[in-house]
Amino acid sequence: MPKLFDTRLTTAVRGLWFGACALMLGLSLAWVASLAEPNLDKTQALALQRYGERAAQTIAAWRQLIEESRALPDSEKVNKVNTFFNRRILFKSDMEVYHEEDYWATPLEFMGNGAGDCEDFAISKYMTLQMLGIGNEHLRLVYVRYKVGSTTPIAHMVLGYYPQPTEEPLILDNLISSVRPASMRTDLSPVFSFNGDGLWVGGAATSSADPTARLSRWRDVLVRMRQEGL
Amino acid sequence: MSLIKQLWIAIALVMSIAFGGSMVVSVLSARHYLEQQLQVKNIDNATALALSLTQLPKDEVTVELQVAAQFDAGHYRFIRITSPTGKTLVERVSTSKLLGAPDWFVKLIPIHTTPGQALVQDGWIQYGTLTLASQDIYAYQSLWDGTIELLLWFVLGAAAAGGVGTLALRIITRPLGEVVDQAQAIAERRFLTITEPRTPELKSVARAMNEMVGRLKTMFTEEATRLEALRQKVNRDAVTGLSSREYFLSHLREALQGDQFGSSGTLVMLRLPDLNELNTQLGRQQADALLKDIGTVLYESGNGRIGQRAGRVKGAEFAIVCPTFATATEAAMDIHARLLQDVLPKWQDKVPELFHLSAVRYQREQNMGELLAQADQALAQAASHGQNNWHAVEDSQAKAALPAEQWRTLLTEAVSGGRLALSFFPVVSGDGAVALHREGMLRLQTDAQGTLLTAGEFMPMAAQLNLTAPIDLGVVKLAIEHLRTSSGDIAVNLSAETIADHAFRHELTQLLKAYPEVCQRLLFEVPEYGVFRQFDAFRELARNLKLLGCRVGIEYFGQRFADSGKLADLGLDYIKVHPTYIRGIANNEGNQEFLKGLCNMAHALGITVLALGVENRGDLPLLATLGFDGATGPGLG
Repeated sequence: MPKLFDTRLTTAVRGLWFGACALMLGLSLAWVASLAEPNLDKTQALALQRYGERAAQTIAAWRQLIEESRALPDSEKVNKVNTFFNRRILFKSDMEVYHEEDYWATPLEFMGNGAGDCEDFAISKYMTLQMLGIGNEHLRLVYVRYKVGSTTPIAHMVLGYYPQPTEEPLILDNLISSVRPASMRTDLSPVFSFNGDGLWVGGAATSSADPTARLSRWRDVLVRMRQEGL
Repeated sequence: MSLIKQLWIAIALVMSIAFGGSMVVSVLSARHYLEQQLQVKNIDNATALALSLTQLPKDEVTVELQVAAQFDAGHYRFIRITSPTGKTLVERVSTSKLLGAPDWFVKLIPIHTTPGQALVQDGWIQYGTLTLASQDIYAYQSLWDGTIELLLWFVLGAAAAGGVGTLALRIITRPLGEVVDQAQAIAERRFLTITEPRTPELKSVARAMNEMVGRLKTMFTEEATRLEALRQKVNRDAVTGLSSREYFLSHLREALQGDQFGSSGTLVMLRLPDLNELNTQLGRQQADALLKDIGTVLYESGNGRIGQRAGRVKGAEFAIVCPTFATATEAAMDIHARLLQDVLPKWQDKVPELFHLSAVRYQREQNMGELLAQADQALAQAASHGQNNWHAVEDSQAKAALPAEQWRTLLTEAVSGGRLALSFFPVVSGDGAVALHREGMLRLQTDAQGTLLTAGEFMPMAAQLNLTAPIDLGVVKLAIEHLRTSSGDIAVNLSAETIADHAFRHELTQLLKAYPEVCQRLLFEVPEYGVFRQFDAFRELARNLKLLGCRVGIEYFGQRFADSGKLADLGLDYIKVHPTYIRGIANNEGNQEFLKGLCNMAHALGITVLALGVENRGDLPLLATLGFDGATGPGLG
């Protein structure tokens, strides 16, 4: 790191006369960072523009779901959201949809394409529940090992909902239609979990302009989501 | 504020902005880079540790060991695991003190990083949140070192740019300085030309000023040439080139009455056969050639002898006034010898009895008619000595001349013993109403009876003995004394010999610097022959004196008129015109025209013109009409 710093330093010394210009540039860059509020109109417009009428209808239905569910108790919200995505969206591999080995889709892409794989379901559910006012401490995206009987285990991702942080979670899975407590999912064994905590601390400091944010798959999807109005 | 200062400030400002700005940008971008790296490290390390903890059994010892191992082997500020209820389960905090960067720097440019967070699971159950922050001491240190290095470059760069800037300014402003000097010189009426600078803007200014100066100089030179021709025509005999009768008699009168020369001198007369006879004998052309030869010899006899002047007083009669010969005999022999050598061999065949020569002594205030009669009488005696012979009449009443050593004692004692005195004569304005200044004439008291010698009587001897410098300094001191005790301006004379003396010029400058309050009222004048003999010395003296605020002039002006084109770059304040031109001006229309032209030209150069030797107050209105600004002389005392 010091080496790289030296290089920058030398460059700075060389570019002495452009110092004033660079200063102006630096100042203007600071303005780029902004903390966006969810803008669902923008999301819907983008869906229409990118994916067509059907996608826009899906987004409209999703917005309606959010409106209707706001007043419900948390367990009801979880059920409704799980059902919404499991019914509406098809399971397809990333290879089919995005022609990539592994791709984390944003809710817009997910609903726009009307298809996605396990982590796309988990992410969209996670984002929707968050928008419905369920705190990060209740939600975990969980890498799990899925194994039924003597078949070869496969890598899978689900969303865990913790009614109380210390208690057993409810599992929102795209492979089965209903939400069930973790203890009933013997086919799943958890490996690692994460949520959005600690990623957006300081807001502006970790803006979409920060190139390091795009290097992490999880942070990348969060950045893209923001750009899409979420 | 001067242009140079403004340029300097502009350079300094631009450099400060450039260097300072680039430094701020560099430091900030380095900080941003460090922040990013630390942030990424925090997040990644937290995730990695949380991942491995999730896989492990969650007994206290294992978790503790895992965290401790990571903390001890890595670079962390702290690692902490908190339970979902907010209780701290494990914590390691570094106690390292901040080193390498001073506190104020850390406060001024803080590196903001957020700790990395990751979640630890115990099966489906949340075990806790892992939070860690990387050590940032090294980041601060790196930033601090970088800043110091950059500052060093800044200082070096600023010094180098400052040096180059100063050099550039010097090169840029050198021609500017010359142009400014020229403008100042023109304002002081010294018309100088300068070499044109290469900078186009300055070049055109310098060229314009040079052309103006050149035109002025040409104009002055042309005018001077015209006036010189006029002067020659009026005051010279056309055939021999010697002074005309009128001009010669005016000069003789000046020698008899003026203050410029010694109290006694010799008048030499030379008579050829009657002019008509010569014309008959030789033919008109040959006769003129003879006269011309005689004229040349007589003119050359005056070379190096101040005040000696030859004139053609009648058709075949010449006279020479010789203030510098000690006896009549010496003067007669000198001129006789020259004639024998240069004229006689050529003409003896045709005119065996070519000339007679006589010499008589004169005393100051002697009647001119009597003197001429004496010379005439002596000529008759010369004729009685045989052909081409001479006769000299010494003055029986003359005081025996003092030997040089006695003069030395006398003069040295006069300077040290305070026996020098100034005698003041007023110089009045053109209408005679106002005194412009008083001219202080030097007098020397030789004995207890109070006999006063005039400058003309002892200064030639002082010049021979190299004593003019102390005498002139004494004069200046006397003038300063007078100025401090009385009002009005005073003019003093400096000798031709003194102005070339470097030590004298230095001493004079020092003396005047001690009395800056009187310099404005002190005028210095040098006789014309002295100015042209020591022109460069005079120019430097005039420059120095004018810098001190004194005024500088030339007295007895007008006899070396052909050189007066040189006056353009001296910055003179005034000239005093030779009395020879002023005496009898009312009846001399030729000289009136000459003086009118002279006044015009001097006024164009900003020089005041004063008349010397005015004998009659009635001449003042005429002089004023001719353009004189003032006058002095016996008639105005």
